[in-house]
Amino acid sequence: MLSKDRIGALFMLAFSLGYGLMATRIPLLPFQRNQAFTAQTMPEALAILGIALSLALLLKPGSAEGQEIRGFRWREAALICALMVAYGFLLRPGGFILATIAFLFAAMWLLGERRWLVLIGASVPIVIGFWALMTQGLDVFIEPFPEFMRG
Amino acid sequence: MLDGIFAGLGTAAQPVNLMMVAVGCFVGTFIGMLPGLGPISAIALMIPITYGFDPATGLILMAGVYYGAIFGGSTSSILINAPGVAGTVATAFDGYPMAKKGMAGKALAIAAYSSFSGGTIAAVFLLVAAPSLATVSLAFQSTDYFALMVLGLTAVAAFAGKGNVIKALLMTVLGLMLSTVGTDQTQGIQRFTFGLLDLIDGISFLLLAMATFALSEALMAILRPKSDADRRREMEAQKNLGSMALSRAEVKEIAPVVGRSSVLGFLVGVLPGAGATIASFLAYGMEQRLAGAKKGAEFGKGSIRGLSAPETANNAACSGSFVPLLTLGIPGSGTTAIMLGALISYGIQPGPRLFIDNPEVFWSVIISMYIGNVILLIMNLPLIPYIARILAVPSTVLIPMIIFFSLIGVYFVSFNTFDIHLMVIFAVAAVGLRLLDFPMAPMLLGFILGGMMEENLRRALIINNDSWSFLWERPLTLSILVIAALVLFVPMITPYFTRLLAKRREAAGEGG
Repeated sequence: MLSKDRIGALFMLAFSLGYGLMATRIPLLPFQRNQAFTAQTMPEALAILGIALSLALLLKPGSAEGQEIRGFRWREAALICALMVAYGFLLRPGGFILATIAFLFAAMWLLGERRWLVLIGASVPIVIGFWALMTQGLDVFIEPFPEFMRG
Repeated sequence: MLDGIFAGLGTAAQPVNLMMVAVGCFVGTFIGMLPGLGPISAIALMIPITYGFDPATGLILMAGVYYGAIFGGSTSSILINAPGVAGTVATAFDGYPMAKKGMAGKALAIAAYSSFSGGTIAAVFLLVAAPSLATVSLAFQSTDYFALMVLGLTAVAAFAGKGNVIKALLMTVLGLMLSTVGTDQTQGIQRFTFGLLDLIDGISFLLLAMATFALSEALMAILRPKSDADRRREMEAQKNLGSMALSRAEVKEIAPVVGRSSVLGFLVGVLPGAGATIASFLAYGMEQRLAGAKKGAEFGKGSIRGLSAPETANNAACSGSFVPLLTLGIPGSGTTAIMLGALISYGIQPGPRLFIDNPEVFWSVIISMYIGNVILLIMNLPLIPYIARILAVPSTVLIPMIIFFSLIGVYFVSFNTFDIHLMVIFAVAAVGLRLLDFPMAPMLLGFILGGMMEENLRRALIINNDSWSFLWERPLTLSILVIAALVLFVPMITPYFTRLLAKRREAAGEGG
């Protein structure tokens, strides 16, 4: 079984290779090519360093400890990530107050909270209070409601 | 210098700034107490709020949050054996056994008094050390700055990797790589933007810090929920705190410990990369050796010396870490790295010029640290039984709140929903890397220093007519680079030498 170190090293090696490949494609103007330091210099040096270090980690004799993937709540974590993505998409069209209350409500529900008083009490007043603090206290305007509800 | 101190005192003593220190300490304690959330997350969460303030006020608030978060971390270490940050791990060694013996109140009081004393003594050192170093550093050139940044990064990597130098170095390189995303500062060329308009300005440091610390911590808490036994233990711990009073004999016993640990903590804090964690462990080890056989045996079982030493040292190191930040503009730890990012976004460039151009910022931060210590002692200690109730908030409510404040904190700076999606990507990547035991702090430091490093290197090359000879021709640059190489390679080769020596000794023993 691959150890934690080796899995990490392989990921970092792939990332460094990809980064290095893209670094060579950074477009330079003709007069910039002859300079000692261009926009490519640092990325290329970093890619070489990244590759060298990843190989060192891959080849070094280290702990054989593997990463256990059972026993984690993968499903909940993945759903929370999906919820964050959805929140990003809904924040503008849905308005801050509605989108955030929905987000908090759904996130708490997903994590196992079923008491209605807690679900409502921990989302509605906090979101409205935070919105009031930002708009009234700190002069940061955020659209509270979706377009069809705006006057 | 005296004028500067008075100007700083005047700024720090303004009612609004005093209030900010108090709020900062309070909020910091609150956030720092949550397991996993340390000063980096606490400061990152506060940054969007501080954008509307003037720089001195913003920094004062953040300094308060910093101290508060360290204090909060100690509280959760003592009460539930769950250090909020690495800097307070050593606090749990003796603090938690004391709490189990029903002396949680006393342990919290010792932690608070030690933190206060360590922070106060170190603030006095800072008052002396920072201006002297700032004056010296005026002679530094781009080449020296480049070398100093290399030193900072190698030192962080060497110390932060829990013995695994390569992983920490890889994370530093990853941070440097991420810092190259966006438009190249001098040539105006887009790099790694994938043609996306949202990436032209690069990745925001706040976004990266929030995603890789606060958000990834929330996801880790979802992945690995606490057991019922842990939860019961937490509830129990905050019910019985016991007395907070210390006897005269106890004060007498910890006084010399506090003195020694303050000096050690400050000196370690000044070194780039070392920071509060190393300081607390070193102080703990030192006191254990100095305590003698009888008292030394009590360490780990509820020794008040063993609690006082790391608590003093980690606070002293916090003050010490401000020395390179304020005088050279080079952060020595993940926390000061995020403060540097905040300073830059205020339009202030930390470094030797800060002392000259913005003396009120420079001095008010130093003085507010002292005020912060006083506030922690007089306000937070009596409130601890109440603040500790946050530990009773169920994770089903707490985790969504942390996620919400992280996301919205970044969104309120850019008002770009692309940032929310980018945060999710970074948080998922950070969770993967954390599961594989890669440290996050070196990455953040590499990211913050990346742009500055590239700029200084480019400037050095222009000054030297495109010749790299400055690396070995300028004595100061060369000395710093040699130190960087030593810092990096000595911990790497020491184990091999130790093993080699042990083998030789064994062979000699067999032969003889």
